[in-house]
Amino acid sequence: MRRPGDSLRASSVSRSFEGVHALRDVTLELGRAEITGLIGPNGAGKSTLVNVLSGFDRPTSGTVELEGRDVTRWSPSRRGRHGLSRTFQHSHAFRSLSVRENLEVAALGVGTVAREARRRAAELLETLGLTSQAEALAGTLAQGDERRLGVARALATRPRFILLDEPAAGLPEAEVPDFAQAVRDVRDDHDAGVLLIDHNMALIMGLCDRIYVLDQGRVLAEGTPDEIRANLDVAAAYLGESAVHDADDEG
Amino acid sequence: MRRALLLQLLAPLALVALAALVGTLVSTSTETYVINALVNVVIVVALYVFIGNSGVLSFGHISFVAVGAWAAGVLSMPVEEKPAIMPHLFGLLGEHTVGNIWSLALAAAVGAAYALVVGLPLMRLSGLGAGIATFGVLEITHNVLRYWEKIGPGLNTFSAVPETTGLLQASLGAALAVIVAFGYRRMRFGRLLSATREDAAAARAVGVSVYRQRLVAFVLSGALAGFAGGLLVHMLPVNTESVYLDLTFLTLAMLVIGGATSLWGAVVGALAVSAVDSFLAEAESGIHLFGRSVDFPAGTRIVVVGALMALVLILRPAGLTGGREFSVPLARPRRLLTKFAR
Repeated sequence: MRRPGDSLRASSVSRSFEGVHALRDVTLELGRAEITGLIGPNGAGKSTLVNVLSGFDRPTSGTVELEGRDVTRWSPSRRGRHGLSRTFQHSHAFRSLSVRENLEVAALGVGTVAREARRRAAELLETLGLTSQAEALAGTLAQGDERRLGVARALATRPRFILLDEPAAGLPEAEVPDFAQAVRDVRDDHDAGVLLIDHNMALIMGLCDRIYVLDQGRVLAEGTPDEIRANLDVAAAYLGESAVHDADDEG
Repeated sequence: MRRALLLQLLAPLALVALAALVGTLVSTSTETYVINALVNVVIVVALYVFIGNSGVLSFGHISFVAVGAWAAGVLSMPVEEKPAIMPHLFGLLGEHTVGNIWSLALAAAVGAAYALVVGLPLMRLSGLGAGIATFGVLEITHNVLRYWEKIGPGLNTFSAVPETTGLLQASLGAALAVIVAFGYRRMRFGRLLSATREDAAAARAVGVSVYRQRLVAFVLSGALAGFAGGLLVHMLPVNTESVYLDLTFLTLAMLVIGGATSLWGAVVGALAVSAVDSFLAEAESGIHLFGRSVDFPAGTRIVVVGALMALVLILRPAGLTGGREFSVPLARPRRLLTKFAR
């Protein structure tokens, strides 16, 4: 069992937008050095949860704790400086800065000294296979490279917790295995807790230590990949009722 | 890599030096235009530090030029001249006079302090809100300086201020502004601010406080603008009209025409538009060109500069320099090769 202070935790978080309940009483805990999957259909509240966890949105009720401290009212930048990092679903690269500068600036942002920022950027360019693009402007990258830059930039802050919002979306199929390995390395080499949102079920099932299933703003299920796979409720929410019933008929 | 960086500093400095050189070769009346152009460089570089690096618009920077001019003008005017021009001045201000360098340093300090006071509430705004609110600052400053005669000449003109801003002082001032702006952009502060310009949300996600970075730039740019005001009041008799709307428009046009996101663009824009503006100002009062007499109607200057700005915005939205720093085209064959290799 993990120590209580060593996690990023959302407790009974609700968020409603003018009467629409995007999140209802969601409790989720993300431990260090493990990959936690977050799945659910479009509109289930996954991105809202990431926004609440990272400080870009405030919950209507409930709290967010980072390593035992209540950070619910903290700004995103303050959370960033305290070891919580995230990527975005759509490209948020610093487009007219070079790829290298994107990484160095991210390291500088959390207070790293310039020399160390330079070293860290060079290292991340290497591990994420961006070295040949280092001096290119971020706005000119191909989609695969751009996705990897997003993850590299989040890592440049040396996060203890990192939230990856559909990082593999738009990645060419051939690049997915390498990308999966990169996410594993984040857990194993950086000891970071990873929250991974993705629609690619094979990727999620292959990578995650634990999975949360979100549907209509509620946590529908939580468990290991095997437990989740076995859970028919999940299939209903994820694949649609008909798919589940078809499977039942055949079984 | 290092050489490319050095060039980014040396190119604008060389341009300033070139302008100074031109100033030594021309007639005294034309020299005044060159000096004015160099003071414009300082103002536009100040604008670049904030607007160029943050991507947030400010119509209020000429306020900082104005308070700088007021500080330097009030304090460097000889004590015996003050009662005639500024009869209602606060006692303390009336009894003291400082030297040239001190008055310039004070102008910068007052510009920075004022920018801090204004920036603390306003740096929470961006986009349209920031533009309009800073415009409000310009109006407030203008009216305070115009009617508060205890801190300056009010509606009078700053005559009798020692005219120390000659070619030397103007070019050294411009060079100093360029060096400060260059240094700032390479520092942590400048790098973080340009990240917020590219994508504010992503900058926040990596720990950057957008508000704090904008405030730092605003204060530094206020200091440079105040310094420019000091140079200006030591150059010509300033009044509230000379540091108001026309100067706001002209310097913003220079920044936009040159290319707002680079120091090189700021210097190129300031000098190029100053040249056009000076020529038109002369032409308004009648000149001889290629054996013909040219006599443009009054107001041509601003009409042409306005049209020029619109034209550049349409044809080359990032400005004449494309908003990029100076680089030698020959230094890039490697990148071209890799492009073809793919």
